[in-house]
Formats: sequence, structure tokens, C-alpha cells
Amino acid sequence: MSEEEKVTPEPIAKPTFKWMGLTNQWDVRVEPNEHGLRLGDLNVGIYGEVPEYWEDQTRRPRGSVGRPGIPPLSYSLRYKHDVWADCAADLYEEAIQRQWIPATDVPWNTLETLPEEIEKAVCQVCTELSQYANSEIEIISHWQDEMSYGFHEVKQYLATVFFDCARHVEALRKRALSNGGGLGIESKGVANRMILQSSGGWTESVAYLYLVRGTYVFHLIKGLHNSAHNEAERFIYKQMLQDHARHLTYGYDHLKYAVTHKDGQTQIMETLLAVGEGIMARELDTSLIRPAMAIIFGEGLEGAKTKGMDSYLALVKDFVADYVEICGWLGIEKTGRLNPALQQYLDL
Amino acid sequence: MSEAVELPKEHELDVSWLDNMGEWGIKAEPSNRGMTLADIQLSSYGELPEVSENQTGRPRGATARPEAYRVGDYGVNKVSEIWLDNAEFLYEEALQRQWSSATDVPWETIEPLPDDVEEAECLLCTFFTEVEFVAGDVPARWIGKTSADFLEPRNVLIAQVMDEARHMDVFRKRALANGGGLMRMSGSTSGFVGSIDLSRDFTEMSTRLHISGEGAVLTMFRMGELFGQNEAEKTMYRLCAQDEARHVAFGVMHLRYLGAAAPERREEIEVYLDEAEGQILAGQQNPASQASETSEALAVLLGGGQQHYDEGYKQLLAIRKRQLKEYMKRVESAGFGERFTNGRSPLPKQYASVA
Amino acid sequence: MPVFPSEEWFVAVREEYNKDPSLHSGGGGACDTVSGLEIADRFYRIQFEGHQCVDIHESSKTDIEDLDFVISMPEETWRKMVKDIQKNGKASALLTLNSIDLSSEESIAYSPIDDQYRQDLFYRYNQNFQDLMDASARVETSFE
Repeated sequence: MSEEEKVTPEPIAKPTFKWMGLTNQWDVRVEPNEHGLRLGDLNVGIYGEVPEYWEDQTRRPRGSVGRPGIPPLSYSLRYKHDVWADCAADLYEEAIQRQWIPATDVPWNTLETLPEEIEKAVCQVCTELSQYANSEIEIISHWQDEMSYGFHEVKQYLATVFFDCARHVEALRKRALSNGGGLGIESKGVANRMILQSSGGWTESVAYLYLVRGTYVFHLIKGLHNSAHNEAERFIYKQMLQDHARHLTYGYDHLKYAVTHKDGQTQIMETLLAVGEGIMARELDTSLIRPAMAIIFGEGLEGAKTKGMDSYLALVKDFVADYVEICGWLGIEKTGRLNPALQQYLDL
Repeated sequence: MSEAVELPKEHELDVSWLDNMGEWGIKAEPSNRGMTLADIQLSSYGELPEVSENQTGRPRGATARPEAYRVGDYGVNKVSEIWLDNAEFLYEEALQRQWSSATDVPWETIEPLPDDVEEAECLLCTFFTEVEFVAGDVPARWIGKTSADFLEPRNVLIAQVMDEARHMDVFRKRALANGGGLMRMSGSTSGFVGSIDLSRDFTEMSTRLHISGEGAVLTMFRMGELFGQNEAEKTMYRLCAQDEARHVAFGVMHLRYLGAAAPERREEIEVYLDEAEGQILAGQQNPASQASETSEALAVLLGGGQQHYDEGYKQLLAIRKRQLKEYMKRVESAGFGERFTNGRSPLPKQYASVA
Repeated sequence: MPVFPSEEWFVAVREEYNKDPSLHSGGGGACDTVSGLEIADRFYRIQFEGHQCVDIHESSKTDIEDLDFVISMPEETWRKMVKDIQKNGKASALLTLNSIDLSSEESIAYSPIDDQYRQDLFYRYNQNFQDLMDASARVETSFE
């Protein structure tokens, strides 16, 4: 390097320390307890003040000092009732504690050859459940970015849901490709479309994702677990059930918060659910999960037409019954007002 | 209530689909690492489309249904736009290396610190919380825009979103665990033209986020072991650094893949690198950059207090030098190293200036 | 009593590391890497697979292009670190591999093929390497 090219070494910049003392609340000392130091434990003083409306359009951490002149970001979900669930912080920590690793936690060596129609049925269910998980990922991907940081607990919790769903996609794909089978036929996407087109608000998406379809998925995974053919499947379904239960807990809790804190939300839900029930009924009719589960429950093609389908219809009946009960808990009365296409399952 | 419907003795059953499954007879075997995503890349299930036409979100290799709804919003549908050769590996690594900020950080080791040190640590934590907001939001946005055919890199990005949630949580915890609190936000993470936020191309975003931004932050996290005052802080920063190194690896390997697979985009990528490098020293995303509040806080921490600011600042200059060198080496590893020898990049000269 | 540095010593450390599951989680999970340790004129190849350190053996510093990275420090620094671990049960803050690396002008880890991506594996798997070295606290050690 020539003398001309040599650059003068950087001098030490004189500090201003203007940032010192700039805080909204000092002397905070949250201590760990027997569960460690959890996210919810941090909600003390102003740091725990979750506003009904988050005015800030920047990435200001809740409780920190703002700075003027920052260009706004496009967070559209700024009311607490748009996203909130009291359980979000606890669910976040629980999700972290209960993570599992499909590659090494699942006892893959317990898989054994199944009769071909049963293997095909399992693979078909894996394929469609994987697509369900994919739509969950995609709708969260859409809304995560819109949620403001006044409600960071919810955003952080949804990051764990993202991760759960990635794990489900992974585990289901691995199961389908590890026992002499392959993937099945894709879902027609009736319910997927319902969820992915719910662009009015996160609450509306939650209603479809968790209340309408998610309640069904819970029963489906439970049925799969009870009919698992080997320890590998049993493990996968057990873990998925655990994860999914958390998703539903958030979903139901959020819907409850929304209907009790937002004027008119109950009526909006009634309208959405009236539409959603018809769509879900079409999903149940057109999805290949139906015959596939009948084969699984019936332990083969012959049994599928009798006890297998009986068991699947009983599963759907349980789903609809649960759905009606949860709607009631939310203040949305469904007795006598359920879409006939779903009512028929209760009448079986 | 209507009367209970009597079930037929035998139900109708559609079994036509049994003859239309995807490629059949696949039996992946677990390796000594378990049943990894790499182990199931068999036959057609491991084949990547150059351009994905999957607009229904079906799993790669599943049989398409002609009447399926096109619900995808997949702007990222070319393999070159998202792929990286070790995506399966990075995802499995991420799963294996998760940690809990609640229970894996020894919070009980935190003890009161002098005010200036506590304030510096809290300012840094406030900044890092804010930075991780970006690093969580932005990849999340791109996941839903990426074709489901590319599930491996998608899953790596999802793991990143999880990592970032954990980071924003651990820094908030530290700020509120030792008699301090959150300080003033930096504001440097909000949208400006050419920023991570506003990128309309995935690779542009990844270049800026993974290689430039997270590369700089990785060095900061590693420094936590030097300026951390207790086991809790050292653990926190060390664990964050490991995660961050994975994110940086994603960026390097994706850029490497793109540079080879889509050479017509090389000049475009060079422009993104030009912009990123312009910000590396001056931009606020780098807490060790010139004239930033966070660099002052770092100097206080490295020196062990305000009274040793100059000594801390000298250490900071050494950090900056390391950051620059590693950035250049990563870009070189990604296949774009010529910019540092042909005079395009200003960094070699700037590297010399912090000697 | 194994002598540091020696293959016997590293094998004893590896056994201690492998048998303690508490060293294999909480951020120090599974990793896969083949790397090198350079101590003066001695060279050791070390391989991690999953949660185990599957191999450490003395080797030569030739044909090392396959290694992800090499950790190379002056012998006195290695000894200082190991003695610190012996005394305190684990490395003190300024004597961890990470701290030593950051305090050095040049990185203590290098890629034999000068590939930063592979050198970055030292950062990605830092916890495992540190846990391995910390396991040496349980190995009675003699220093030549």
C-alpha cells in the first residue's frame, strides 16, 4: 500500500452518553422461581402494562423509551383484542419446554410393514395433515408481520406455533416415506382456502383455523394416536396432539378475549361461522381423509365399510359436539342453529 | 332435535384414490443421525423443480388434484431464489440445539452492577430486543411467500423465527432482572429504502439480514463472553451466538447457490452488497459502527465502566476489525470475493483504517 | 495419570464428555464436525457425531483439507486454559475458547481451505467444544 493509500487509523470517538438515564422505569428486578425466569414474570410495572391500543408504529419494545422521527411500519393489528390471549406467555414457555425432535426422538426402528391399503391410508392422512400444517404456517406467516410489538407475548408464542407446524410437516413427510409407501393425493383445499382467504383480521383467521378446522384436527390426531400401528406412529401423534392442544388453547382463549372485548365481534363470529360450517362440511365430504381413516379404523378395506366408517363418523360427531360446546362458551349459541351439513353428524 | 339417523350396515367407500398415490415403495432408513430430512430425499421426493408450479401448497411429490384450489401466494417459486445446499442439515441442527431462556440461563448468578455498567448492558439489551424483532418478522413474512416445494429452506427460516423469538425474550429478561430496565430504542430497525424490512426480493433481504446484519451481530454476541459480568450474561450471549451463526450460514450458502445457479443475477447481488457495505460501518444495524449509542455502551462494557471508556473503545475497534474481516471472508465463501480485489468494495481500505 | 497434551489425555476427556448427558443439551446439542486441534507440534483430529465425540486421535498436520476447522493456539495458552479448568471445574470467563479467540488478534480457529463458512462451524458448535474441554476437569492431569 502506498503512502497515499494508507488511511489514518480511526481516532477514538468522544462519547456523549446522552443515552444514560433515558428509561421509563428503572430498579426492576425480576427473579427466577422454581420454573426459571419466564416471559410472563417480566410483566411488572410499566413493562406489564399491555395497552388496549398500541399507538406505536415502530419496533419499540414495550416499556422502552421512544424516539421521535422514526418512520412508521405497517403493523395493522394494534388493538389488544385483535391478537391477545392471557395464556400466550405461558404457552410460549411451555412450547419451548416440550419441543421434540422427529429425527431422533421418534423410534423409527419400530415401523413394520403394514398391509398395503392401510399403508396407503396412513400415507394419505399424513399428506393431507401436512397440507393442513402448511396452511397454518402460511396464515401465521401472513399475520405475524402485521402484529405490533405491544403484544410481543403473542408474537413470540406464534413463533413456537410456526416451529411446531414445521415439525409436523417434517414428521408426517418422514412417516410417509419411511415404510415402503409414499405421499398420497393432495387435499382439494376446501378448508385450506377458507383459512388462507380469511384476510379480514387475525381473529377471523383464528376462528377458521382453530375453532372450525382445528377442533376437527384435534379429534383426528387423537383417533390416529388411538389407532397407531407402532411406537413410531404413536409417538408422532402423541407429540402432535400435545402441540395442537396448545394451538387450540391459544385460539379459543383469543376468541374469548375478542368477543368479550370488542363490540360486535360476537355477531361477526356468528356470520363467519355460519359460512365456515358449510365449508367445513364440504371439507369433510370431499377430503380423502374420510375413506383413509375408515380404512385405518376398520383395519383394512373390508372393515372400512362397516366399523371403520362408523368409528370415523363417531369421531366427526365428537368434533361437532365439541365445536358446538366451545361456541356456546364463546357466547355463540349453536343448538338448533348449526349448519345442517354439520348437524347431520350430531344426529347420527 | 331430529331423530337419530340409523347407520347403514355398510357405508359407501371411495377407494379410487388408492391407485393414484405418489411414487410408491419408498423406504427411507434412518442414518446415525436419526431420520433426517436428508435421509428422505429419495427418488422423486428429492427432486427439486427449477420453477415450482405448485400453487396449492401440496407437499412436494404428492399427487396433484386437478380441482384443487390455487391458494398459494408464492412469489418465491424458483429454486435459485431460495435454495441452499445444506438446508436439511441446518434445519436438523437447529432442532437439536434449541435452548430455553427460562431454564438454561443461570439467572441466579446475576448480581448488582455499578450503575454505568448496568445502564450500558440494559441499553444493549434494548437494542438487541429491537434488532431481533426485525430478524423474526422479516423471515416470517417470506415463508408464506415461498413455494411449499422448497420445504427445507422454509423450515430453516421457521427455525430462525423461533430462534429470534427466544433472543428477543432473553434480552428483555436480562434488562429486567438486575435492577435496571429498558432504555431508549435505537430506531435503526425501522424501514428505510434498501433496508431489510423493505426488501422486495428474498436474496436482497437475505444478503442484508443474514450476511451483513446477523454477521455483525454474531460478533457482538460472541463478545458477550468478554463483556458479560456474570455467568448468566455469558451463557445468554454464547447461546445466542450459536443460533446466529446458523442464520449467517443460511445466508452464505444461499448466496453461494444463487451465484452459481443464476449467474445473470450476480451484478444485481453486487449492488445489494454495495449498499450493505455502505451501511456496515455507518449503518445503525451494526452496534459497533461509528457514532452510535450502542457502540458507546459496548465500550463502557468492554472497559468495565465509564472511567475506562477509551480502553473499551480500543477493544471495540478490534471487534470492528474482526467483523469486517469475517464479513469479507463470508462474502468470499459465498462466491463474491472478487469485489474485494477488483476495487469495487470500499471495505479493504476501511479494514486497513481500523488497524 | 495422562499427560497433557497427549492422545491418552484427550481420549480420557472424550470418555468423560460422552458419559455425561447434561453436557449434551441446553444449546450444546447434537453436532457433526471433523476438526483439528493444534498444540505446538502436535496435532489431533477430533470428530463429533450427534451427541457424542466419537473420535480423538493424534495425527499429522497433512491432508487436513477435509477438516471443518482447526483450533490452533500457542501451547502456553492451551496449558493455561487446561490448568484453569482443572482448578475451577470449568473454564473461567476469559479462558474459554471463545474468549481466547476474541482476545487474540487473529482467530484461533482457521479453515484449512480458507473457507469462512466452515470456520464459522467453530461458532456454531462452540458450546460442544467448550463442554468437551470443561470435561477435562474430571481427568486427573499431569503437565510435562
